[in-house]
Amino acid sequence: MNRKIVILFGTESGNAEFAAEDMAAEIADREVEVVDMTDFDVEDFSPESFYMVICSTHGEGDLPSGGVPLLQALTSQNPDLNGVEYAMFGLGDSSYENYSKGSEHIDQKLAELGAKRVGEYGRHDAHTGTLPNSAAVDWTNRVLESL
Amino acid sequence: MFSDYSPSFAIVGSGPSGCYTAQFLRRAFPDSLIKMFDRLPVPFGLLRYGVAPDHVGTKAISSQFERLFERDGVKFEGGIEIGVSTSLEELRQEFDVVVLAIGLSQDRPLSIPGWALPGVYGSGQITRLFNGHPDEDLECVSVGDRLVIVGNGNVAIDLARLSLLGSEKLVEFGVEAEVSNTLSSQDLRQVHLVGRSLVGAAKFDVAMINELAKLHDVRFRSDAVEPINENPEAHKRYEAISKLVRESNLEANRVVNFHFGWTPSLIGGDGDVEFIDFASQDGLEKLTIATQTIFSAIGFVEHEDSVVRRESLMTDETDLTTGFLSDGLYCVGWFRRGPQGTIPANRSDAKLVSDQIIMDLKTKASKRSGRTNE
Repeated sequence: MNRKIVILFGTESGNAEFAAEDMAAEIADREVEVVDMTDFDVEDFSPESFYMVICSTHGEGDLPSGGVPLLQALTSQNPDLNGVEYAMFGLGDSSYENYSKGSEHIDQKLAELGAKRVGEYGRHDAHTGTLPNSAAVDWTNRVLESL
Repeated sequence: MFSDYSPSFAIVGSGPSGCYTAQFLRRAFPDSLIKMFDRLPVPFGLLRYGVAPDHVGTKAISSQFERLFERDGVKFEGGIEIGVSTSLEELRQEFDVVVLAIGLSQDRPLSIPGWALPGVYGSGQITRLFNGHPDEDLECVSVGDRLVIVGNGNVAIDLARLSLLGSEKLVEFGVEAEVSNTLSSQDLRQVHLVGRSLVGAAKFDVAMINELAKLHDVRFRSDAVEPINENPEAHKRYEAISKLVRESNLEANRVVNFHFGWTPSLIGGDGDVEFIDFASQDGLEKLTIATQTIFSAIGFVEHEDSVVRRESLMTDETDLTTGFLSDGLYCVGWFRRGPQGTIPANRSDAKLVSDQIIMDLKTKASKRSGRTNE
């Protein structure tokens, strides 16, 4: 696959960003960009890039504060995302009642606007006491291999 | 970022707000000297000594911060205390920018008669004990079969949960056996969480209340009244408490009682704590709870012995909304904005202050180059 890879992260405490950096390092031989959701312009979504979205959960299944502006922009600007492909990795903590729902808000919205999710939906559970980094890196490799 | 300009930074305090500041500054200044100082020999402040030991997901954030030292060239020097090992003046001379991320380490005192009776402890002290802080001594602490926790924010809920989790579980989370046996003994039968806020305005996060449901050997009760016509958050809090109570184990022989809308007025006892009185919001009713142990969890303030006082560092140019104290001196985190907000809030705070630092340095740099172009 020759498309540029955009790793889009939504974070609250920096963990998603931390993992995104490791994901980028893993595939450094390709054209990769790591972008904070708070800095991303929804008009920039393009079928020429492949989006690897990594997003955490805040509180009881909510988006992290880093993901809120993106959801708001997608909702208000309503871009046509037909032809755009993305993969999804969600961070969560099973000690909370609503496990790992944060990323699903973005996933649902992207799908509504016509984007297509490919590859497995990656998940990491912080309650294991491990960091999401290696799970996210392994998932990145698996997803790219499957394309 | 700006060529040939690598200002040097000193960050005093290596808790989350200090570490996030280091992250943001390092990104903007890849080649700068960034040095973090801490009073303690090890970094991470409240992440290490304030986050509850069973909140492993939160504790894991330290790995992000470890990268600062391991890979990003940020220096750390522990055992450095302003007023003891160095002075603020010395730091300001040695570094272009000094950022104070020293937090608020003293428990807000109860300030009611009897507050100093043996048996009254600050939440900071108890949390530090759970986390093995070097300055805390278990010898001064004992917990009876009843515990009253004054406050109903997240810290208060943490203490209730940890006190009831049981020694065995706590040891699994790394708490020292002696500490667990003292602070989370099976002898503890009754916990009262008493806050001056009504349930809708209580400062706990709903997730913290839901988490209490995992205490299967505990029955939950509350005097909460459903808020009327309030914001959705207020209703969510009421729902969380109600659900906890509704699904309570009625056979349990340990009880947690939530009391909302009560302000402490007096602690009494002959030598040791025996009871604590509270007054209702309208002042007409009194609540008396017999207890041997009281934890106060009503916030944090600057340490009374602290050499570094925010107020004494403020000048006419100070703007606390950006963290700017005076030329080359900034504040971040709880030290800047007060003892509210958990780790994510401190990340946002660090971003805000770092942005200001970067902007101020840019202004300085362009003024400097403006002069040389004349």
